[in-house]
Amino acid sequence: MDFDIIFGNAARAAFGPEAIILALAAIGLNIHFGFTGLLNFGQVGFIMLGAYGTSVAVATFGWSLWVGIPIGLFLALALAVALGIPTLRLHAVMFAIVTIAAAEIIRILIGSTDAIGLTGGPLSVSFDAGAFFDLNPYADGPQDRYGVGTFAFTGQQMWVITVGWVLVALVSLIVFLIIRSPWGRVLKSIREDEDAARSLGKNVFWYKMQALMIGGVIGGMAGVIDAIKTSGADPNGFRPQVTFYTYTALLLGGAATYMGPVLGAILFWFLREWIESFLRQLSAEAWLPGAIADFLEGSEGIISVAMVGLALVLLMLFRPQGITGNRIEMQLDAR
Amino acid sequence: MPADRPPPEGPSAPEDRSMLLDSARRTTEVEPILTVHPEPGVAKPNPILTMDGLRRSFGGLTAVDVDHLEIERGIVTALIGPNGAGKTTLFNLLTGFDRADHGRWEFNGQMVTSPSPDRLARRGMVRTFQLTKSLAKLSVLQNMLLGAPNQMGERLWAAPFRHLWRNQERTNTERADELLEQFNLARMRDELAGTLSGGQRKLLEVARALMSDPALVMLDEPMAGVNPALAQSLLGHITQLALSGVSVVYIEHDMDVVSGISDWVVVLAQGRVIAEGGPWKVIHDESVIDAYLGRRRAGTEA
Repeated sequence: MDFDIIFGNAARAAFGPEAIILALAAIGLNIHFGFTGLLNFGQVGFIMLGAYGTSVAVATFGWSLWVGIPIGLFLALALAVALGIPTLRLHAVMFAIVTIAAAEIIRILIGSTDAIGLTGGPLSVSFDAGAFFDLNPYADGPQDRYGVGTFAFTGQQMWVITVGWVLVALVSLIVFLIIRSPWGRVLKSIREDEDAARSLGKNVFWYKMQALMIGGVIGGMAGVIDAIKTSGADPNGFRPQVTFYTYTALLLGGAATYMGPVLGAILFWFLREWIESFLRQLSAEAWLPGAIADFLEGSEGIISVAMVGLALVLLMLFRPQGITGNRIEMQLDAR
Repeated sequence: MPADRPPPEGPSAPEDRSMLLDSARRTTEVEPILTVHPEPGVAKPNPILTMDGLRRSFGGLTAVDVDHLEIERGIVTALIGPNGAGKTTLFNLLTGFDRADHGRWEFNGQMVTSPSPDRLARRGMVRTFQLTKSLAKLSVLQNMLLGAPNQMGERLWAAPFRHLWRNQERTNTERADELLEQFNLARMRDELAGTLSGGQRKLLEVARALMSDPALVMLDEPMAGVNPALAQSLLGHITQLALSGVSVVYIEHDMDVVSGISDWVVVLAQGRVIAEGGPWKVIHDESVIDAYLGRRRAGTEA
């Protein structure tokens, strides 16, 4: 058992592109769920449109990547408007149902055989993200590695990570600025009691729409990073569990806090990869009884997801406010 | 209350209200209403709210059925009636929280065409709720600041740029502190509103409603669940409001309270206005005693 490898793998996941994508998705969801109280169960839909908008614009239409990225973000914005107009006036539960259904409908449409000409359908779409990697300042030879042991990235990965974390920092800063303003105060009042906000003259529908659009576009950014990282998009990468992972990260870190989604995303990937690596090493140990080794063999990934789920359950029981949340605020719910 | 709110329009409003003594102001406001003949649906000298043919039914039950009712400007009007008389439903209709089946109403001289709660609030009709809606996870001060109207910082494009709204926020905070002081909530300023007692939340809700300098304040059972000492101060605030030119309508059950601070009383029973008039006239009205007070005498209420 080599703990250097286990921690190396976990750290690589915690700071790699996957964590960046999850962090952005969670920052967006935090605006919806954490600050405004919108039960968006279709955050993956925004990510998907960000990824596919970028990919299709470049791969199918042959446009520049710098045109594709705004198209991806615009599609995420358009989804927010299209979802919001009919549903934001309805009860919160209706909104949750519609968002999860909408995200699935979009995924099925994108992945259908009829859409092969446009999106690649069930086959994934891939494009040349060269325009992005041309700007890469990191040496990117086959031997170039940045980091120590298994905690190391290639030059291309380093470029994605650098841009990604700068983006996460910028977006977090903007979210901080708008949430601590009177605008953010209105969002919180809507989360607490819509009718109170209305009785004080706030146009609740419009504020919810603004929150949905901003969080959706940030989700779209996660999709853009995903598309660039993999140079394409695959419909199977956008199943509903992506939204649930996003919720897990958000709740781990602490909803309605500024750093919660980022910390949560890092922690989520660290835990998941740590457990998976650990189990993989464990199953190779000679002293392990054969039956258990056979059980572990090949199921490390699934078990690690289950363990993260268990961690979330324990967290909800013993620290429902998340890592960074405020305990007193949580207790007010019980009154 | 500050003296900077515009005096209400109409013949009974003196030129400069701040120059007059409270008692004198009170007389000028109340006197015209005393000359009004106390009968249901009677016209008033200077109404702020006029409703016609307002109807709302839930299934077979007609909750509100008001042919004509006027609420006089600048005085305290009590809305009373037995349980289920439609008082809160009428509030909900007037403030846009519920849709009327028929009927129309005029607020501040303008017809209300599309009643949405936020639009009516911005026009100066602010309400409170029977079950208080203090925003538990916001501080008392933040609750107050939410009540301020026309905030630059509530626009998304201006929100990230603090210098655009810092001055307005400071002015609003000063105003909020003033009101918190008046309502004895100043020491709770930075506490989360969820930690306040029930009575304090009622006070906070009323104070918050006043942040927008409303023309008409509609209070749904402001005294319910408030301890006697706080209730006294709340009564004082309501009287003060009318003195400063704000029109007040409130729902109340306690007849002592009603006769103590109301200038005019409207009695609702089964959705209809069965009587209105000065408090003493109404309380001794036969139909009111039958519909409402009769039940009290029977000992159904403590």
